[in-house]
Amino acid sequence: MSPEVIIRLKDAVVRRDGQDILSIDSLEITRGERVAFIGNSGSGKTTLMRMLKGYITPTRGHVEVMGAPVPLGNRARMRGYHRQIGMIHQHFDLIGRESVWQNVYHGRLGYVPFLRSFLGRFDKGDREICMRALKEVRLDDKLYRSARTLSGGEQQRVAIARTLSQEPTIFLADEPVSNLDPALSEDILDLFGTICVAYRLTLLISLHLPELARRIADRIIAMKAGEIVWQGLPEELSEEKISEIYERGERNGEGYDRLERTNEFHMSWGHGAKGHLVPGS
Amino acid sequence: MPPDWSVWDVLWRASLETLQTTIAGTFLGALFAYPLGVMAASNWTPPWIHLPVKAAMAFIRSIPLLILALLFVSAVGLGPFPGVLAIAVHSVGVLGRFVAEEIEATDPRPLLALQGTGASSIQVIQHGLIPQVLPQMVAHLAIRFEMNLRDSTILGLVGAGGLGFYVFLYIKQFQWEKTGVLCLAIIFLVFAGEFVSWQIRKRLI
Ligand SMILES: Nc1ncnc2c1ncn2[C@@H]1O[C@H](COP(=O)(O)OP(=O)(O)OP(=O)(O)O)[C@@H](O)[C@H]1O
Ligand SMILES: [Mg+2]
Repeated sequence: MSPEVIIRLKDAVVRRDGQDILSIDSLEITRGERVAFIGNSGSGKTTLMRMLKGYITPTRGHVEVMGAPVPLGNRARMRGYHRQIGMIHQHFDLIGRESVWQNVYHGRLGYVPFLRSFLGRFDKGDREICMRALKEVRLDDKLYRSARTLSGGEQQRVAIARTLSQEPTIFLADEPVSNLDPALSEDILDLFGTICVAYRLTLLISLHLPELARRIADRIIAMKAGEIVWQGLPEELSEEKISEIYERGERNGEGYDRLERTNEFHMSWGHGAKGHLVPGS
Repeated sequence: MPPDWSVWDVLWRASLETLQTTIAGTFLGALFAYPLGVMAASNWTPPWIHLPVKAAMAFIRSIPLLILALLFVSAVGLGPFPGVLAIAVHSVGVLGRFVAEEIEATDPRPLLALQGTGASSIQVIQHGLIPQVLPQMVAHLAIRFEMNLRDSTILGLVGAGGLGFYVFLYIKQFQWEKTGVLCLAIIFLVFAGEFVSWQIRKRLI
């Protein structure tokens, strides 16, 4: 049996202000694969992930996830779809005043009827799912700490556990380590390695540093100005390729919407942290 | 000139009335201020809702409390009831604005993240918005209570009940010994209100 294709894009285009900010001729990702996306700032990595999550509607083309088009515009089905697609990014986005436990429990909300979540009653099954996720990220000793008192690495682990408790099929991680120092970044990436196996996830992860991509990915995809310009195995990604990929594209990540704008703000530490290519220099 | 403690009875009744006026007024005001505050939050409602609500609340804030009390006294007669209404209306203007500003200032990203897990809108409000704004809401309510208590001690000047009414009465009769006792009571009451409000807020941070 050939491996099942879980994501299939055909001529998918996202157009903004008269420019194709994303334009993918063809992309197929199979179930269980770990794919890393690299590329300059503004190359379209976030756009791609937000499109797969169902936040952005493709201007044209075909986007098929888990055997069906993304149920855009259908509120009820969208909720079920969201549940299947876990997403995190560099800002953790936890409810800071709430406990680690409560934040991880939020991953269950999509499954729990309103009245039960309103009364704050977890049933045993939910509790076990959350506990397993917390053990997986090694935070089961900090259940009742409020999230904002945790370190950045710990907060990202809570965010990962929240996504795991959601029991997703696909895990989208948009620059999950851009706010963490290099040692912690490697830690979190290794954690992604373990959870992908334990939860049989398909992982799409975008990273600023090519060597981090090599560490985690089965396949690396390089993007430039919204297009896929290279893909291959981690060992095929040579230094020349890297400099080609990070060569200045026509676009430089200007003029994003307000929400994403604030995201870009914190992003600069990672570039060249290990004497690597500095996008935009 | 020693204080005249024969007013003890009056003092007790008037203090209680002031306290009751404050509590009733503050909570009546809060009852309207929260929903109106949500309506006035520009990130939750369209401009044709939040702009008029905001303007109405600003208009209310611009009327001094004593004038409000005077208006209500002439509308519903003397006593603590117009005091309650004046405090309530004033609180809607002030609290509603804080509610709106607090909601506008909440970080939308955690809310989007919750929605991204598959939570419904109502779940996002309950588990995302309310936990983020609740402590500030309670703190504002405590401060409003403390300030309303101070304000309602003088409402009696325009006939809206409470300690102020007797202070004014004894001043007119030149009974300084009694006036002094009531002033002491006002100081004590205001101080106690601040203490309670401080205790509540301390516990929230
Ligand atoms: N709503 C929008 N309107 C106009 N342009 C947009 C919009 N959203 C994204 N863009 C543009 O699309 C391009 C791709 O942005 P995207 O955020 O996907 O890049 P990225 O690869 O994630 O970059 P980074 O590494 O900085 O996160 C950028 O040039 C951006 O300015
Ligand atoms: Mg991005």
